[in-house]
Amino acid sequence: MPGSANGVQLEGTVLECLRNATFRVELSNGHTVLAHISGKIRKNYIRILPFDRVLVELTPYDLTRGRIVFRYRN
Amino acid sequence: MVTRPAQWQWHALEDDLVVGRAEASRRPDGRLFISVDAWHDVVFHQLAEAALAALPRPLHTVVDEADVDLTAQWRGAGFVIRRREWEHVVPTDPIITGLGAVIAPPGVTIVAAADDLLDEVDRAVRAENCPAMPAEILPGRRGLSTFTAAELDGRYAGLLRLAPLPRRPRIGLIAVRAGMRRRGIGRALLADTLATLHRRGVETVSADVHEANVAALALAAGVRARRVSSNLELELR
Repeated sequence: MPGSANGVQLEGTVLECLRNATFRVELSNGHTVLAHISGKIRKNYIRILPFDRVLVELTPYDLTRGRIVFRYRN
Repeated sequence: MVTRPAQWQWHALEDDLVVGRAEASRRPDGRLFISVDAWHDVVFHQLAEAALAALPRPLHTVVDEADVDLTAQWRGAGFVIRRREWEHVVPTDPIITGLGAVIAPPGVTIVAAADDLLDEVDRAVRAENCPAMPAEILPGRRGLSTFTAAELDGRYAGLLRLAPLPRRPRIGLIAVRAGMRRRGIGRALLADTLATLHRRGVETVSADVHEANVAALALAAGVRARRVSSNLELELR
């Protein structure tokens, strides 16, 4: 589990795009979180689709929520 | 506490842990865009306040309109909506789109755009559409995108830019020169591109359409494109 000053980051796979600009992501540890797209990704018009491999930063306040900070090239 | 580790970066720290970030960057068209990522409203406002105090105007940001909290935060910071683009999912199957029988208008040829043509296209499209259009064409910087052009009498008449994103390519631009519109050139460009993708096994593409672009909205509706979301470009002057 890579950790850094930026918080815990885990790889995952997007399962579902939800209506409220969030995504259901299955993490590499088997847990599922709700994640939204980081402003940096949105600023660069990067699209997130189901089955995309992504890097999720988890909030230290609620480990069921996170932020997609990177989309891997499939 | 908010720190500034780089000229256009701000970090919010809590017990030496980064709990929020703000970052600004220039787009190729020269406009400055900012993003803030924070888990709490108070941290967002601290970062926005620090960044906005240091950055020049005008300043821009992009949000998904469905993200009402983030949109409200930016509007609370003084940003106003500058443009809204609807994201569409466009089928490629000519049976669905009805584009199977579309042929280019008389005298128009659909071709792969050459670099020298792209330069001409870039100048012409910007002259006819600035400042409303996003930076989609960059002279000498094709990147991974492919460009399909409509030629008429050896001159550019229209252009389609396609970004070959994994699984769902994105149509970044369909432009037809002023004076050559309403002849079916855009539809012919779209038909050619979608047919090629369909033969390759691609089922859908995405396309963003400005809310005020009536012709593009009609073109999207005519090929049974499905509206899935909207992006807001916000501006602070």
